[in-house]
Amino acid sequence: MEFDKDSLLKLGKLSKIKIDDDKLSSLSADLGSILKFIDRLQSIETDNVDPTSNSLDQSLVMRDDIALDENSATEILENAPDKELDFFSVPKVIE
Amino acid sequence: MINGWELVIGIEIHAQVKSNSKLFSSSSTDFGSGPNSQVSLVDAAMPGMLPVINKFCVEQAVRSGIGLNAKINNKSIFDRKNYFYQDLPQGYQISQFKDPIVGNGFIDIVLDDQTKRIGIERLHLEQDAGKSLHDQDPNLTFVDLNRSGIALMEIVSKPDMSSADEAVEYVKKVRSILRYLDTCDGNMEQGSLRADVNVSVNKPGNELGTRCEIKNLNSFKYIHSAIIYEAKRQIKLIESGESINQETRLYNIDTGETHSMRSKEDAHDYRYFPDPDLLPLEIENKWIEEIKSTIPELPDQKKNRFIKDYNLNEYDAGVIVSDKATSDYYEKVVKNRSPKLVTTWVTSELFSVLNKKNLSIDESPVAYDKLGELIDNIESGKVSNRLAKDIFEEMCEMGKSPGEIIAEKGLSQISDEGELEKLVNDVLIANPKNVEKYKNGKDKLFGFFVGEAMKLSKGKANPKLLNELLKSKLNT
Amino acid sequence: MKAGLNLIEASVLLENNETSSVELTKIYLDNINKGKELNCYNTVSFEEALKEAESSDKRRREKKSKSRFDGIPIGIKDLFCTKNIKTTASSKILSNFVPTYESTASQNCLNAGLISLGKLNCDEFAMGSTNKTSYFGSVINPWKSKNSDAHLVPGGSSGGSAAAVAADLCIASLGTDTGGSIRQPASFTGTVGLKPTYGRVSRWGIVAFASSLDQAGPITKTVEDAAALFEIISGYDSKDSTSSIKQKENFYDNLNSSVKGMKIGVPKEFKSDDLPTSTQKAWDDCKKLLQENGAELIDISLPHTMDALPTYYIIAPAEASSNLARYDGVKYGIRENGKNLIEMYEETRSIGFGDEVKRRILIGTYVLSSGYYDAYYIKAQKVRSLIKSDFNEAFKRVDAILTPSTPSTAFEIENEPKDPVQTYLNDIFTVPVNLAGIPAISVPFANDENNLPIGLQLITNSFEEQKLLNIAKNVQDTINYTPNLDKWWIK
Repeated sequence: MEFDKDSLLKLGKLSKIKIDDDKLSSLSADLGSILKFIDRLQSIETDNVDPTSNSLDQSLVMRDDIALDENSATEILENAPDKELDFFSVPKVIE
Repeated sequence: MINGWELVIGIEIHAQVKSNSKLFSSSSTDFGSGPNSQVSLVDAAMPGMLPVINKFCVEQAVRSGIGLNAKINNKSIFDRKNYFYQDLPQGYQISQFKDPIVGNGFIDIVLDDQTKRIGIERLHLEQDAGKSLHDQDPNLTFVDLNRSGIALMEIVSKPDMSSADEAVEYVKKVRSILRYLDTCDGNMEQGSLRADVNVSVNKPGNELGTRCEIKNLNSFKYIHSAIIYEAKRQIKLIESGESINQETRLYNIDTGETHSMRSKEDAHDYRYFPDPDLLPLEIENKWIEEIKSTIPELPDQKKNRFIKDYNLNEYDAGVIVSDKATSDYYEKVVKNRSPKLVTTWVTSELFSVLNKKNLSIDESPVAYDKLGELIDNIESGKVSNRLAKDIFEEMCEMGKSPGEIIAEKGLSQISDEGELEKLVNDVLIANPKNVEKYKNGKDKLFGFFVGEAMKLSKGKANPKLLNELLKSKLNT
Repeated sequence: MKAGLNLIEASVLLENNETSSVELTKIYLDNINKGKELNCYNTVSFEEALKEAESSDKRRREKKSKSRFDGIPIGIKDLFCTKNIKTTASSKILSNFVPTYESTASQNCLNAGLISLGKLNCDEFAMGSTNKTSYFGSVINPWKSKNSDAHLVPGGSSGGSAAAVAADLCIASLGTDTGGSIRQPASFTGTVGLKPTYGRVSRWGIVAFASSLDQAGPITKTVEDAAALFEIISGYDSKDSTSSIKQKENFYDNLNSSVKGMKIGVPKEFKSDDLPTSTQKAWDDCKKLLQENGAELIDISLPHTMDALPTYYIIAPAEASSNLARYDGVKYGIRENGKNLIEMYEETRSIGFGDEVKRRILIGTYVLSSGYYDAYYIKAQKVRSLIKSDFNEAFKRVDAILTPSTPSTAFEIENEPKDPVQTYLNDIFTVPVNLAGIPAISVPFANDENNLPIGLQLITNSFEEQKLLNIAKNVQDTINYTPNLDKWWIK
């Protein structure tokens, strides 16, 4: 089973992963195989089953509205690959 | 209706929640500090960072929901909305998709004395994005994450509006309610409240047309003109046989036109799914009741009370309560004073000055106690209405109290009987012939004597006392 | 001093002043140097570790030790963010990242006075069961088949954590387990690996793979060590919304090894003709052993066992595809230039991520995308509920469940199958536990015919780690498994 190549390229666009032409075939074979594997679930009867998104049986704990001045701009920008003044910088975006 | 076409309008309002810290992190929400200085490790999406929800933001959303007559959901879910953008550090926005915190509600708007009910579809909590600066460098875009993670309430209306006026009234009303509740400061210029407007047109009786969404409108004026422009654009297209593309458009404030957002190179697919870092948000009825008990008087209730207590008409009451600060100002001035006089002074004199100077009531050059003092002077007859207007003008310019101005300029009315009697005597002595004519039955001359006496007093004579005095002198 | 100390032994030596933290730390740093070939560490904190060891000794002299384990050197999986120490998740994309913060779990270790020797190699973003997906190369299992000189995989993703403990490159280590990433490498290296109940150990500061499944835990030489280190790292953390509010427990002090009257479940779905004879024998021997020690064996059924792996391979990639969106070259990590923002993203992520990570991001994106969400993601969440309820039913009848940890023992690094799905099958016995959020432990039981360790897995209900550790201790104490590991890398 192969994963349709156009769909694969579309997924690449969505997830911002460039897929080189020479990798396209092997990747579509890999994904096809994974897809076939996970398709096993389709045969399971789940009509009256609630989905579980987290196994922890607890309601959300809330914090108080206290503003803390924990991090300086220097600290936040410390690992930035590119920064200007106290800003992160990226290639020009035209809106 | 425009040229026989019906408009269908739905609005999404993004209102920044008033809180000290962000929705899922402890950094401050203050405006105006240096770039990236109010960014926590969570806001910058550092590896391994996790969101923890701000209880007060939840409370604010519940409070807003109550103010919008809406159902508060006991259980709601936070979802991730996935997309890449430079101002979205996590690569997803935490929002609520399927199960929002607030469900169906409504508000009433009044237009031309007609009340119309506008449905609210939902209100949900979500994170704001950071800010991009495109004009600092020819080749780079700068990103400031101070705003990243601030709590927003997205309030979605039903497509219940059918004109630009209604749309503006709706946004005004929602803003007014949020400001009464103190859940959002409603400052549109700063972007604390912005609207995305969905517009479609159709012929009466026909099915709904394709809608376009105009994003990020941050003034009533823009909302109004964007809708008009967009409706006309759609009508023109349809009438010339073309079809409408469902799309997102931007409003250009310089040209007054809407234009299609440069379509992104790939179609959006936000891949919403429940955020596995957060558990379901559960809100007990007990807490909802507690919050309910703290809800202040809202515009509609206040309007009814003003009409009843102060005998205001619908229109004036509506204008005064539309803004909480204005209604507070009004109530402070009207205390122990004549509502009629106070209403006139607030709605005509004060409002015209504020409009002219483009000021909010909080920035009024005339504080409520000063206006009260002026009205006291009118009520006691110390100054005439005409003089009061001059004094008011002076108060606006110089910020002085009416007492100071009256004293400085000697503007106080002459109500002293001795002084007035002297005035009257002088006038009568100077015009013996007219006195005689009057006594012989020429009643019309009474006005002449009043005029002369006024002239002599430089307009300061108390007209009521002057009249009485003249009458008694001339009739003896 | 004898080699191969465990946590408890080391604490006794320190207590009796028979060694110092500096001496211990030096020995282990030396071991690390000699064991470079095993490629266990991505970063070694030579200077920091010695400095901390000196402080620890000073505390001990002044009777101000932070805990009875103060001064003992451990290793930390390179997925835990460590303040001022490079944290890479074994990925190129984070290869230059130095956090300004310390994860809660590793901070808890520091608070107990433990010394970090450095950051342990793992599969890239913890995605893998062989350690081969690491940007820094495979970890090599210290064990070798007696019939071959070939290098074996240590398992994954916490391969470095397990191999380092087995090879005495640290006394104990921290790992993380999303689908078996602690238990499977523990099984492959003859060590003890505990995956706690989801929510027991804070996830704050641990590079996320799949948020609803990730759980940190200890890899150690003994069950006692596992109890002790688990106790240190566990507890409620207000910075993690999925942290359990349950009280911290004294797992180590409360350890006992009685299994009398306990009911041990044996799930029929784990039986397979494909299971190696030696693994089957170890499993059978363990059943017998527990029975002899007073436990009752009960046949149970976990009907959705075989559905767990496909469920996992929907949920984990879905969450990962979103969790890994933050690695975009803007805030940290590497950046590859592009003509515009989109190209910069695509270049950075294509070059920064390895093949397995990319595969999982793509699959995860697919199962969440419109039109497929209900068929895959929601479906998987529903099957997850079924898997959870299978365990709930079972735990109405039994105290614990006994299974093999892995379908095979360690295999050759060069022998990995081409089809990724074949590799995924390594986790077939461990994955259901993560989906249910319950605790499980892998304990070494015997060696196979090639002298490679076989681990067995014990599973209990949520928050019943004490029971789990007690049963594991009973097994450990009865068999008295001693790894006869030949340290071939020391020339």
